[in-house]
Amino acid sequence: MEKQLKIDFQKLLETSNFSKKNVEIKRKNFENFIEKGFPNRREENWKFSDLNQIISKNIKNLSFYNDLSKPNKIDQSIFIDGLEHNKLVFVNGRIEKIEFDYEEKNKMEILDDLVLEKSNNSNNSLLFLNNAFVSKYFKLIVKKNYSLKKPLAIYNITNKDLVSKSINLKIDILLEENSSLKLIDFSNDKSITNFININYNFDLQKNSILKNYKIDNNSNSNVKYSFSNINQDSNSVSEIFLLSSGSEFIKNEINCNLNGEYASAFVNGVYILGETKHHEIKTNINHLVEKTKSYQLIKGVLEDTSKAVYQGKIFVDSKAQKTDGYQLSKAILLNDNTEFDAKPELEIYADDVKCSHGSASGSLNEDSIFYLMSRGLNYQEAKKLLINGFLLDVVEKITDSEIKNLIKNIMSLKQ
Amino acid sequence: MLKIKNLKADIENKSILNNFNLEIKPGEVHAIMGPNGSGKSTLSNILSGKKGYDISGEILFENKNIFELETEERAHKGIFLAFQYPLEIPGVNTNIFLKTSLNAIRKARGEKELDAIEFLKLVKLKAKELKFDEEKLNRQLNVGFSGGEKKKNEILQMSILNPKLSILDETDSGLDIDALKTVADGVNSLRKKDNSFLIITHYQRLLDYIKPDYVHVLINGKIIKSGGPELALELEKKGYENFN
Repeated sequence: MEKQLKIDFQKLLETSNFSKKNVEIKRKNFENFIEKGFPNRREENWKFSDLNQIISKNIKNLSFYNDLSKPNKIDQSIFIDGLEHNKLVFVNGRIEKIEFDYEEKNKMEILDDLVLEKSNNSNNSLLFLNNAFVSKYFKLIVKKNYSLKKPLAIYNITNKDLVSKSINLKIDILLEENSSLKLIDFSNDKSITNFININYNFDLQKNSILKNYKIDNNSNSNVKYSFSNINQDSNSVSEIFLLSSGSEFIKNEINCNLNGEYASAFVNGVYILGETKHHEIKTNINHLVEKTKSYQLIKGVLEDTSKAVYQGKIFVDSKAQKTDGYQLSKAILLNDNTEFDAKPELEIYADDVKCSHGSASGSLNEDSIFYLMSRGLNYQEAKKLLINGFLLDVVEKITDSEIKNLIKNIMSLKQ
Repeated sequence: MLKIKNLKADIENKSILNNFNLEIKPGEVHAIMGPNGSGKSTLSNILSGKKGYDISGEILFENKNIFELETEERAHKGIFLAFQYPLEIPGVNTNIFLKTSLNAIRKARGEKELDAIEFLKLVKLKAKELKFDEEKLNRQLNVGFSGGEKKKNEILQMSILNPKLSILDETDSGLDIDALKTVADGVNSLRKKDNSFLIITHYQRLLDYIKPDYVHVLINGKIIKSGGPELALELEKKGYENFN
């Protein structure tokens, strides 16, 4: 793979007009990735999901250069129906549409051809890969006091032309003071066996609100990694909802820094998995100052030989008194061959805090099924009602009623 | 309506019911009284088709053997079990559950399913009759309900589904006297010439309010004595131990 990486990186540099400085940054990221490679289970963060193995098992002859010179057609039929929204559309990793028809243009800044100006200082090899190979990245700034009138949907579409490629996207979003954004991440993949690596960076200034709904619902054979870094200033709110269901593998990693007092973060998610799918949600919620709050509720329903992993960490700095942190994960295992791994972690250095965590998994309650069947429902109907009820609890946490309804529809939870 | 012949039930090689016989005709109310562990709940579970028992004998419902029928098929035929411990079903709205249930049964019977408006009209009427707090119908099924509310909810379901045979498994346990009366009124209002009831209970108390036609004493999985309502009083006086 190293040989392929070198050829493809060279190709990228030859076909792009990066400045000397850009090239330098990219080369550094590239070298870091070459040194570290894809993460494997020897890293604590990846111990339940050995990405190196997952990639070699699922993707043959992975290549890294992606020719973005030609436009791709957009399949309009995949757009979310019945919800007025702004659109940002990527097809096979190339931006094909930027449409903010509902918004006041002077309240936002949209930059779609940024190149890396500084190197990331993390130790995450997939960010190295991302920053080495991403050619241009996208940034949205929502100006002070402006709330987008309609949600923004970022479509990440891949079509059947894309096979065994690594796609890297980088998106930065800055919410200035008192601004707000509802963001729906929606993927639709007709491609097969690609590695899709998305890096989000959110900056939430004072009193701003981010609601982010990440919907992975359409069955596909791709392997994905989505990393969201969120920095929150005082009084800001982030609400994340994950529907983790369609991809062969996806790891959603969320790193959230609560840097200002009264900042709060909510991460709720559901896995609905079958076949051989393997999904992970990994969170790091860092309470770094006083009086911040976090809440995490994760539920999963697993069938066939699927596997779900939840690693949820709450870190409380010694300065962060009056922290309120909560996390709970639950899974229903529909047969013996499914697996749910939960690793709740609390790392607390302050003494006046309220933190709790819990995790439970088990099979469907047969007595409940008998109860529902005794009222005339057949086994499948009873099972479905119980599972939907189990998951609905998480969906009800969504604070935007329009998007809540949309997600209920997508999950067929409409009662 | 219901004819049980030589019913034998084991669970994990332990005999629960043995040589159990019972016949209930349309319009009749039968009470089965027995101490803890006598097989009362097993009987109601088996009639509703719960799995996990080794059974032999015959259970005829309207002259057809129902041994092979699934739980929901028995419900479609008109058998209803009011649970001793109604289950809490998180995330499932009570009203929606009731409508799903009623329409599943109506559909199986070839009747027209009720739309939302027709259903709400029916449920409101029944809830009022049973003094069941309507607001609770918008909550998750039995979640956070008190013991009494759960039992009333069972009777509400019974009155909406309008079964031919209702089995009440210790419906009186955990009820205060007012709730007991409400529940009994609910049952009495459903007594018709073609509806039958099987009331399973420890105590004679409920039978003050629901007058049975027959009382049976169940001990160690077998009916040892049958008689009229006076048998319940005798039992109350003597206790199960001295009863033989």
